[in-house]
Amino acid sequence: MKKLFKYLKNYKKECVIAPSFKMLEALFELFVPLVMTKIIDEGIKALNTSVVIKNGIILFLLGFVGLTCSLIAQYFAARAAIGFANGVRKDLYKKILSFAHENTDKIGSSSLITRMTNDINSVQNGVNMVLRLALRSPFIVFGAMIMAFTINVKAAIIFTLVIPILFVIVSYITFTTIPRYKNIQKTLDKLTLHVRENLSGARVIRAFDASDEEEKEFNEDNDLFYRMNIVTSRISAVLNPATIIIVNLALVVVIYQGGNFVNNGILTNGQVIALINYMSQILIELVKLTNLFVTINKALASAGRISDTLSTEVALSDDGKLNAEEASDLGDTVLEFRDVSFAYPGAGDNCLENISFKLHKGETVGIIGATGSGKSSLSHLMMRFYDTGSGSVIYKGNDVKDYTLTSLRKAISIVPQKAQLFSGSVRDNLTLGCKDNPVSDERIWEALSLSEAREIIEKKGEGLDYMITEAGSNLSGGQKQRLTIARALCEDSSLLILDDSSSALDYATDARLRANLKSLKDRLSVIIIAQRVVSVKDADHILVLEDGRMAGFGTHDELLATCDVYKEIVASQSGKEAM
Amino acid sequence: MKNRDIYKRILLLIKPHLFSIILSLIFAATNVVATLYIPILTGRAVDFMIDKGQVDFVSIKKIIVLLLITLLVNGITNFLMTLINNRVTFSIVKDVRSRLLVKMHKVPVAYLDSMGHGDILSRVISDVERLSDGLLLGFSQLFTGVLTIIGTLIFMFVTNGIISLVVVVLTPLSLFAASFISKKTYGHFKAQAKLQGEMTGFINETVNALRLVKAFGAEESEEKAFNEISDRYAKTNLKAVFYSSTTNPVTRFVNGLVYASVGVFGALLGIKGKLTIGTLSCFLSYANQYTKPFNEISGVVTEFQNAVACAGRIFEFLDAKEALDTVTQSNESLAEKIKGNIEIKDLAFSYDKSKKLLYDISFKVSSGSHIAIVGPTGCGKTTFINLLMRFFEPDSGEIIFDGIKSNELSKKDLRSNIGMVLQETWLKSATVAENIAYGHSEATREEIIEAAKKAHAHSFIKRLENGYDTMLTQDGGNLSAGQKQLLCIARVMLNLPPILILDEATSSIDTLTEARITKAFETLMEGRTSFIVAHRLSTIKNADLILVMKDGNIIEQGTHEELLDNKGFYYSMINA
Repeated sequence: MKKLFKYLKNYKKECVIAPSFKMLEALFELFVPLVMTKIIDEGIKALNTSVVIKNGIILFLLGFVGLTCSLIAQYFAARAAIGFANGVRKDLYKKILSFAHENTDKIGSSSLITRMTNDINSVQNGVNMVLRLALRSPFIVFGAMIMAFTINVKAAIIFTLVIPILFVIVSYITFTTIPRYKNIQKTLDKLTLHVRENLSGARVIRAFDASDEEEKEFNEDNDLFYRMNIVTSRISAVLNPATIIIVNLALVVVIYQGGNFVNNGILTNGQVIALINYMSQILIELVKLTNLFVTINKALASAGRISDTLSTEVALSDDGKLNAEEASDLGDTVLEFRDVSFAYPGAGDNCLENISFKLHKGETVGIIGATGSGKSSLSHLMMRFYDTGSGSVIYKGNDVKDYTLTSLRKAISIVPQKAQLFSGSVRDNLTLGCKDNPVSDERIWEALSLSEAREIIEKKGEGLDYMITEAGSNLSGGQKQRLTIARALCEDSSLLILDDSSSALDYATDARLRANLKSLKDRLSVIIIAQRVVSVKDADHILVLEDGRMAGFGTHDELLATCDVYKEIVASQSGKEAM
Repeated sequence: MKNRDIYKRILLLIKPHLFSIILSLIFAATNVVATLYIPILTGRAVDFMIDKGQVDFVSIKKIIVLLLITLLVNGITNFLMTLINNRVTFSIVKDVRSRLLVKMHKVPVAYLDSMGHGDILSRVISDVERLSDGLLLGFSQLFTGVLTIIGTLIFMFVTNGIISLVVVVLTPLSLFAASFISKKTYGHFKAQAKLQGEMTGFINETVNALRLVKAFGAEESEEKAFNEISDRYAKTNLKAVFYSSTTNPVTRFVNGLVYASVGVFGALLGIKGKLTIGTLSCFLSYANQYTKPFNEISGVVTEFQNAVACAGRIFEFLDAKEALDTVTQSNESLAEKIKGNIEIKDLAFSYDKSKKLLYDISFKVSSGSHIAIVGPTGCGKTTFINLLMRFFEPDSGEIIFDGIKSNELSKKDLRSNIGMVLQETWLKSATVAENIAYGHSEATREEIIEAAKKAHAHSFIKRLENGYDTMLTQDGGNLSAGQKQLLCIARVMLNLPPILILDEATSSIDTLTEARITKAFETLMEGRTSFIVAHRLSTIKNADLILVMKDGNIIEQGTHEELLDNKGFYYSMINA
């Protein structure tokens, strides 16, 4: 929670105004019983109508001023809480954007989303409630006690007894139930897990005829949830009647003592009524205070999760200073792997070992190999999604680590395996990587032509303004894939990686696409990762991967003559492609 | 479902608890009376202390005794009422959840898929909770609220008519304030909910496509876009939070107004000797709490509407058509006859009758043969498997196992004869051993280890922290994709049925594990009729029968050589 305090810094003014006005309101509220005493003692008993009216107006004014103060307080409390939450949300989002693959793999995307939404809401609510009530409620409780003392010290002694007793009861019950509620929440999580598993495993459960067992397990936890709730709610059910009984017992004492004092002339009966009023004010505020405890507790748990995320160390350093987009174009080599070995974090064995090759300017290098041979891992290293275990990846003369992450990834364009699009217009989707220097529509159309996607978009009446729905559900697999290629081409970079990204294209389109790319030879070097031999056959060099090792590097004809693995792949007509 | 039907169904849910609810209502009524009686008693007590030397102690003592009794009644009824309400609420929650889970196992798998898992989950968890909260808290609050208002008015009119009129005249003010604020807030809340949805959608999209965003170095522009949404949300949020937070101050103000009016009019009457000070004090107490039930009732109405909406969603699921089951009784002697000879005749299936999904599927295989199913994505492979397992019911056609028609078998008997290893592995959050023994909880540890060894899973399980007792996290998150598949193979291995459905992996699995899976598959398939959704050429070549599927139809079938000679789709696919 401490970590999050800094987000309140910009709202110092609000954080002072809100509780102060809340206290002012409380103060006015405390005067009400006193005014009423005046009406009774000086108005009714002295048969003085003007006192009654005058004090009636005072009562109205007290209420009105109280309302104004309170509205001001509510407004500033809301402003502080919402500003605070907005700040946290933006920073948390920024942090998530900075996460390396390793981080997100570990935390899980659904958990990140919960933190961004539910947790932030609950912290916002907590801040809001604290600003509103943390001062007001104790102020009223103690204020009412002090006011009682100003009426009569002896008669008020009962207040000094009741308040601590109530406080002990309220906090005892609250604090014994809080850990229980946490356990109940955990059991509910378990129930949720059961339901999720029963949904995702619907087929397996039926295949193994295990519904009865699943129902039994669910019902065990369901019963536990029921029993825990019953026991805990029994404890908290004591709270209300206990408070009511204690406060009213005190009332009995006030009445009994009051009778004596009135008889002795120490108190007027108007004052007895005032004491009774103060007692009921205390009752109302204590109930509010209990609710506040619960809210704060929830908020603290969420705050813990948020600050954990904020302080997670990003698994990939971004210390490079060079701008990859401005890297010199003079050298002949665009990309080079120097004896690179790599293992995924947490996995024991290397998935790439001793990889060395060069990609020269304007060339095309094809990478081929069986599933799991490490093809995609190579592209991950080029984009620096992960760091190499040993060896280095050199882009235009410098280690990829020497560039800033963003500039490196902007300098290299990639068409990932999975054709992902965002909800939004075609234009917005295609210019994803170039938001800071706007791309002309002509360039976009050109990219669409190159990727053989021009026709698709032309057919849609809206052209580049055609709206793609969430996850691109209004496009076919092949259409999506061509758009993702166009997206990469919009980036105007000098290196393009196609990561097995023509799987949904028919052969003719695939061939035309490759021919189009070849026409950009003077400015574009290409890496094609593929499973089909036909996709890489015409590349300047082909890298053959087997079990993470280089099984060969050369032209199609060279490899046919020298590389057994390649021969095998060709012989099997590239084994396991899109069937 | 019409609201009227929903109300009826809700009443049916409550029916078993009718006695408890009546009891709860009686306690609630007693509690309201006791609560309202306390100010009257204190007021009377005050009236017995007129001035110095003029205090009637005998009467005050009598009142104190009455007060103590009322107090006790108040506390006890409050406690009992809460207990009963909780018990009713939580047992309804429990029952409904349990019924929903049972239902989940009875509806067709296709129904679950079409509903969306998140949607069903929210029905079982949040909707049930909101139903119980809204309903029962609603009922009790509505009841006590209405009772309190009526009771207050009766008590007041009995004690003093004129001053009660003052309160009644001011009542519309409370109503007006409550409805004004809730209307105003509702609009802002609706706007806020919409923006919240937009924001969550945005977060969802970027978090799921985080790699893409990073690959394009688009972090900054995404951040900018998010900040814009976040700011917009904050603006609406401020309005909604502020307007809703005006409820309390405004209520207090209206209360104060009632309080002041009662005070002034009461005092004026008092001067004329028409009202005692004690009665005034009693009226003041009432005035202090007068608007509270109004607010509660207006809150209850929204909650109740919410609860009815949730109930509708729950009942909709509970009413879903269950999977067809012509034979419910298991028949072991029939089940044992199945040896793996399968004949499929003119099988057809579609979700939507206008679009054929799978049609004209016919072939015949004998026991022990291996059948490779190949074809591009979306060709109907998965649908065929779903039909074979009777997760889906065919629109027409027959599946015959050793002379027994599929629909003459109970689903239990049918499925116990078919083992299934899908590419999408499913594991429970339970121990490794429990996962292998899934559906066969009687299996001994030896049998489990034996199965794991045959599945080539033993060596990696041994190396896990607690071996066979290692707890798997959700979806087997602490295992690699390949290891998960090995466990699923071990699960089938434990009790090998005569028919198998296997799905070769295309996802990235390290080569060592992939080799193990291939070996494990070979062990599994020995002497068993096996359907393999195949991607490896070697598997396809070795199959006794290759079914080439395209657009929901088997367009070619035969052995590898036959199909190559045929020079059709298969040939072009292989020679691509």
